[in-house]
Amino acid sequence: MRIRKPTVVVLSTLLAASLGAVTAPSVALGQPSTAVPGTTAAEPNQVTGLRVTQADGYATVAWTPVPGATDYQIERTPVDASDVATGPAVVVGVWRPNRQINNESPTFADAGFDPGLRFQWRVRARIGTAEQPYSAPVTGTTLVPWGNPAVPGENLRTQWETTKAAQYTSDVNEYAYTAEIDRLSDRVRVVEIGRTVLDRPINMLVIGYPAPPATPAAVAATSPLAVNCNVHGNEPGDREACLVLARKLAFGTDAKTVDLLKHTTVLIVPTINGDGRAANTRGNSTGQDLNRDYSLIRQPETAAYVRMLRDYRPVAGYDGHEYGNSTAGDLPMLPPRHQNVAKQIFDESMDMIEGHMYVEGAKDGWWACPYGCQGGSSVGLSEETILRNTLGLKNTVNSLLELRSSGGQTRPDEGNSANNRRRKTYSALWTFSQFLDYHRANLPAIKKARGEAIEFQASNEGRLVFRGSRPIPLHPAPHPGEAGPRDDLPEPEMILDDAPCAYKLTEEQYNGARTDGPNDVGATVAQRIAAHGWKVVKGSDGYYVPLAQPERGLIPLLLDAQGAEEWVDGTRVYPTRTGRHNGPLTISGFACLEDATVNGPVTIRPGATFIATGTTISGPVSAAGATGVFLGDSTVRGPVSISGTTGAVSLVGNTISGPVSVAANNTGSDPALIAGNSVSGPLSCAANSPTPTNVGVANSVNGPKSGQCATL
Amino acid sequence: MSEPSIPSTPAAGSAGRRAAGRTRIGRTRSRAALALAATALLAGTVAGCTDDGPDSPDAAAAGSGVSGPLCAALPSGTDPGNPDALADQPGDVALQWIPVLTRFEAAVRAADLGAELRAPGGVTILAPTDDAFGKKFSEENLDDLMIHRKDELRELVRAHLVAGARPLADLVSDGTLRTLDGSTVPVSAAGTMARIGEQVQSVCADYRVAGGRIHIVNGVLGKLPTTYDPNADSGH
Repeated sequence: MRIRKPTVVVLSTLLAASLGAVTAPSVALGQPSTAVPGTTAAEPNQVTGLRVTQADGYATVAWTPVPGATDYQIERTPVDASDVATGPAVVVGVWRPNRQINNESPTFADAGFDPGLRFQWRVRARIGTAEQPYSAPVTGTTLVPWGNPAVPGENLRTQWETTKAAQYTSDVNEYAYTAEIDRLSDRVRVVEIGRTVLDRPINMLVIGYPAPPATPAAVAATSPLAVNCNVHGNEPGDREACLVLARKLAFGTDAKTVDLLKHTTVLIVPTINGDGRAANTRGNSTGQDLNRDYSLIRQPETAAYVRMLRDYRPVAGYDGHEYGNSTAGDLPMLPPRHQNVAKQIFDESMDMIEGHMYVEGAKDGWWACPYGCQGGSSVGLSEETILRNTLGLKNTVNSLLELRSSGGQTRPDEGNSANNRRRKTYSALWTFSQFLDYHRANLPAIKKARGEAIEFQASNEGRLVFRGSRPIPLHPAPHPGEAGPRDDLPEPEMILDDAPCAYKLTEEQYNGARTDGPNDVGATVAQRIAAHGWKVVKGSDGYYVPLAQPERGLIPLLLDAQGAEEWVDGTRVYPTRTGRHNGPLTISGFACLEDATVNGPVTIRPGATFIATGTTISGPVSAAGATGVFLGDSTVRGPVSISGTTGAVSLVGNTISGPVSVAANNTGSDPALIAGNSVSGPLSCAANSPTPTNVGVANSVNGPKSGQCATL
Repeated sequence: MSEPSIPSTPAAGSAGRRAAGRTRIGRTRSRAALALAATALLAGTVAGCTDDGPDSPDAAAAGSGVSGPLCAALPSGTDPGNPDALADQPGDVALQWIPVLTRFEAAVRAADLGAELRAPGGVTILAPTDDAFGKKFSEENLDDLMIHRKDELRELVRAHLVAGARPLADLVSDGTLRTLDGSTVPVSAAGTMARIGEQVQSVCADYRVAGGRIHIVNGVLGKLPTTYDPNADSGH
């Protein structure tokens, strides 16, 4: 039995009379917020076991299910310090079976209140439409915004926080806030990754413990994760969550935060579209939807982001949005599903969503669901221009995140009010925090998927799809949504069964002026290819972009006439040799071997370009002064020696029985790639400029690794 | 500084290191949000669920002379942006503090009509909610108006402006109002609120601002065609 204090009853009764809307007669005093009231129902079908757990910006309400319940209503009443109601009781949510994947332990994340206020919660079941008795109440004080007001750094607050969500954080306030975090926290470095069309800085917070690694390459070596917070200027909810999260990561001293940051680096870009944010437009200042430009990188904002991806190499990402569909779940999510995305990346991204977000959402009461989970529409498809797909084509595990703009089938429709903004932002904060947890717990699986994906792509095996998605199978019931996006299988004209070996571009295609950027000025294809980080080899008759490289899925979408949104119509270059060749093979000019067998040594002459995938070579491979050497998914029985290359070197996913020597290759700004190879023998690298890289995909070397390859 | 201060006007930004000296950016106040699909206002119930009590209190409960069903969802009491705090602010600044007006507020800036909202004779602003904008224009259409079709946008904003500081009751008793785009619109009583034209109603009226009034309305006025398509979704 609850203990009632008579004076409270009187006060509360008076209030009830004056407000006419208080449904809770009173609330017991002194009840801790996580206390569990009686577990025995006093009335039939009364909810029991109610408990409320406070978290950042939301409260998880949990209870014991009532047999036969159709759904549940969650009621919240503001109370004062004495637990006397100060306002009307309001039904703030409905729990339905499709909100979470396990129905044995229903939970509901109540949000949309000013953090720090005190409330009483009750829950009742409905059987059909018949309302059953409310549970005994639980009261609790919600958590104030994170950070001790007396501790420098922790006491920073955004404009959104200090105005109680009446205003969003301005650009000026964001710059001041992040600069203060940078100044006060050794863990944070704020880096300007580019500028918008209107010359606003695009900043990124680089966060590590005790300090972030000093260079992009050093950050990349920590397998970082990236949150892109605000691409559509009129969808600002995620950005506010990012700014709060940055403060927690910068100053939090709890073991979990420190542990996370000891093991990786967190990359947060609060505002990729500062011009659109300031103007409250979806697009940037030219009207371009930036989330239709991440492959094309016509705009400076997307180009900046793509260069960042090349240099910092996040292994996992989230991309924050808001969703106008008011019937969706709380948090629609979607993996990269373009069919050129390696299956390993698709699968791991699905596991992040279903294996982590759905599971944790069921614990904390948030309804993560597939994008299009209610009223599924023609969204969430295969455009490679969308960051979700671009990231997948760059072998990054990732998901879209949508914050349902308002209402929904299980929450009040609050318009664009402060409370609705809070519900959105704190649901994003939950998601991004969970994303960190997922990364911490699953990094070996992420790295494995990424490594296999890179090896798959560099093998240039299988058909190419220009547009078309992998299906998103529905999660088994009870499931977080009746529908997902439509299947979006590729049309026949969007499939190329016989993939070329490379694309050849003319001088005009490669270096010619372009008009597809702001003010009719666009970067050259050469500059954009460099921003993506692809390898290019200059031949006597043009520029070759081999497909035997990690972004093989993306390259044709931009260089093939069959692409839906390509830069140029490059010439498909098909393999010059398949099948068996007995005896020595000397390469001059351009040669591409696919699924070939060479019984004899291969000699690559000065100035030649050699590409081989799926090929077996019985004999040494030696290149001296070649323009380009690409070896993917091949077997070499003998030593491999590559020296003096002037264009590009790539050895990915090969099995080599013999010593491998990579020396004195001078490949401009693009390092030799030596990744995912299995070498029986020593691997030695010396005097290469730049230093070779494995992009985080280790080689298995049965012999010493030495020189520049000692850590590869 | 221990904490970034919040500028009280759009012109007085607290500049960070990088923003220092960047006055053009500092002048452009970032605001906004998308709230497409939603219709109604707080009310406090989920569709299909009924609260035990009557409808949430309107009018007086939200304070300071404002009235209407939406007022309870807006800043009140001593919250930043409460009606009293806006009483001495120019109309274009006051718009920045009312959360549900981000699209209209951005449209005023994009149309470069802030000064018109400070006209010497006073201006009454019939400000459509973000939800109203969401039900009127497709996202692409609104972006196009905001970025490329500023003459049309200016007329759109002026279709929501009335000369003088006019309480809602006066507009109702007049029976018609004349907006600054030259249109004449009938006004009639709708309970304690006003019906403006055929489709639009006030939902939180009588914000007093320096030299004017703001009445929040639930629909977009003016001559532009409706481009919102409930079955189209621009997606992420």
